[in-house]
Amino acid sequence: MITNFQLVLAGTIGAGAAAIWIRTGTREPPKTLRGRLWEFCWRTALLAICILVIGPFWPWRTLGSGNWILVVPLAIGLLAFLLRRPAAWIIAAVLIPLGFYGFVMARDGGFWNAAPVQQYGPLHFGDYSMQYYLVLPLAYALLLLGGWLLWRGLNFRSPITRLVLGPLADQVSRTLLWSLLLFPVVFMAAALLSPNLWFGSGVAAAAWTVALLAGTTLLIRRSPRLAASVATGGLILLGVVGLFVTSTWGHRLGLPETPDQYELYGAIAVSSQTMAAAARVQGLILIGFGLWLAPRTIPQVRQLLGWASDGELIKRVQRLTESRAVAVDTAAADLRRLERNLHDGAQARLVALGMNLRAVERLIPANPEAALALVAEARETSARALNELRELVRGVHPPVLADRGLGDAIRALALDTPMNVEADIDLPGRLAAPVETACYFAAAEVLTNAVKHSGTRDARVAVSHADGLLRIAITDFGVGGADPARGSGLAGVEKRLATFDGILAVSSPVGGPTMVVMEVPCALSSQKISSC
Amino acid sequence: MRVVVAEDLFLLREGLVRLLKAHGLEIAAAVDSAPGLLEAMLECRPDVAIVDVRLPPTFTDDGLRAALEARKQIPGLPVLVLSQYVEQLYARELLADHAGGVGYLLKDRVFNDDQFIDAVRTVAAGGTMMDPDVVAKLLGRRAKDEPLARLSAREREVLELMAEGRSNSAIAQRLFVTEKAVSKHSTSIFSKLDLIPSDDDNRRVLAVLAYLNS
Repeated sequence: MITNFQLVLAGTIGAGAAAIWIRTGTREPPKTLRGRLWEFCWRTALLAICILVIGPFWPWRTLGSGNWILVVPLAIGLLAFLLRRPAAWIIAAVLIPLGFYGFVMARDGGFWNAAPVQQYGPLHFGDYSMQYYLVLPLAYALLLLGGWLLWRGLNFRSPITRLVLGPLADQVSRTLLWSLLLFPVVFMAAALLSPNLWFGSGVAAAAWTVALLAGTTLLIRRSPRLAASVATGGLILLGVVGLFVTSTWGHRLGLPETPDQYELYGAIAVSSQTMAAAARVQGLILIGFGLWLAPRTIPQVRQLLGWASDGELIKRVQRLTESRAVAVDTAAADLRRLERNLHDGAQARLVALGMNLRAVERLIPANPEAALALVAEARETSARALNELRELVRGVHPPVLADRGLGDAIRALALDTPMNVEADIDLPGRLAAPVETACYFAAAEVLTNAVKHSGTRDARVAVSHADGLLRIAITDFGVGGADPARGSGLAGVEKRLATFDGILAVSSPVGGPTMVVMEVPCALSSQKISSC
Repeated sequence: MRVVVAEDLFLLREGLVRLLKAHGLEIAAAVDSAPGLLEAMLECRPDVAIVDVRLPPTFTDDGLRAALEARKQIPGLPVLVLSQYVEQLYARELLADHAGGVGYLLKDRVFNDDQFIDAVRTVAAGGTMMDPDVVAKLLGRRAKDEPLARLSAREREVLELMAEGRSNSAIAQRLFVTEKAVSKHSTSIFSKLDLIPSDDDNRRVLAVLAYLNS
């Protein structure tokens, strides 16, 4: 039999080894066969030490002699080697059930009710012996260590985690870890409610435990957020109950009358005034932990405290995803349009030009007049090609926008629009080029709409920048009734502005006037391009 | 006649210089940047400067700015601005000082060398030349406005050519009518638009452009 001293020694070495393991678990795998073999050996050795620590907890009698000390570390070592990053969660996977086993053992005198004298790690005890009271704290310590290892080592991208969690793996991460807290909370609450009054012990208790485990697992898998919230609320409630357990309020929750009876409260078996004080401390710790967790797991509390809520973040991510998709699509479509226009326009004209010139070469000696006509035609063609290129460039990036920035570009736009457009521009600097382009084309689209649909000759454009917000207001004094939902191009403008977190608002009562306001958050660079 | 040419693309600059020399104009300086242009304009005092809008160092509207700056220091210094694009905004800025001696043309207009040299001479003589594109846009914007709507089709044609800066004889030649007919149309246009008629070509252009720009 291993003595307690040996166990403490092994435990210290094991904890150190586990720490090294976790730190090295995420590094690059060695490239050479020798390196891999070496890693396999030292990992296995480390795990063997860990198992030496864990081993005594388990009722190994079922495995017969002490051969497990050789077999189990080798098996786990092989597993560790194959899975690449398993150390933390393999150890956690051993520690957490051991912790639960400790609970069950303390409650019912052993899960299997096998023997009157039990072994739980270094604790060797009969019913209600002094060591018995240490089973629960030890079980808690194991659970906490297991939880911490899980936190450190659980890799939500690993194939194993994906297999277990399914599509949830991407969404949960931290929330899932918090929701795992539900297991101890449920078990502690169950202990307080003393279910063996209803279910008895032994096989019924085992069935009950399995049912609780299954239900809790289901909740955690289906709805980790809810599970995390419930766990937090449960913690606080358990803490409050603990304070009452140790008061004189009610006989059921009060102190037992004989010293060999006890009331279980979490890690504390309350059988004396000293233990009652410890239980109160535990109650306060639980309440404190619950309150610390509350804003981290319950969205409503977060909102109450004014923290940015996950919901807002999720919405923002959705908006960003959508606007990014629109931006990418728009860019791709623009490039396609550009390519097609070049191909059908300027490129084709240049080909025609080359052919014309070739024909001129042949004609000059024989028929100078015909050659002259062809040259004139060639000049015409080149002028047309230039014209098309000009229009193309204007559609990609208007020259005034490049030269002078948004303010003057909108002034030029107002001049080019076949309406009386009054431009009121207050923009003492330049904006980021992509914002300028997006805003320019947005304004152009709105003005084009006004020309087509407003039925008036008068419009007004106001551009200003204040508090990091660019504001473009375009008003026409026409018939009104514009509706962005009817697909008048305004929806497209809105989507494109959304790329820059910009918004577009339309006010267009029937009978007019129509006012389109665009607001885009952006910085104004103070220096205007200096004149020479 | 002494000319300053400002164009950053070597081939175009050389082409322009050759074209101008072929028509008997003297090249005072050929520069490739806005600061060089300003210096040449102020030092050489050319009869006319031919300026590309987009020039180094920033490759935006440096040429235009340099030309405007030179005209600020020497009012009325004739400038013919060439560009791949014509913008009404820039046309307005050039016309803003009402001093005449400005031209604003698309680079393509160089293809027709006779008309281009005419334009250079007109501007050098203090006249005003606007690209047909500018005028078309100006008229397009005001097309439905009273009293422009009252003009007959022929009168609109005459108005367009007048706005481009052409003389009566040039308009007559272009429209295949007599000069007398053109001057009759011109009187009619001026009375319909409530403008004070003028025999001076340049003042007439400026009045028409000012009216269209208002």
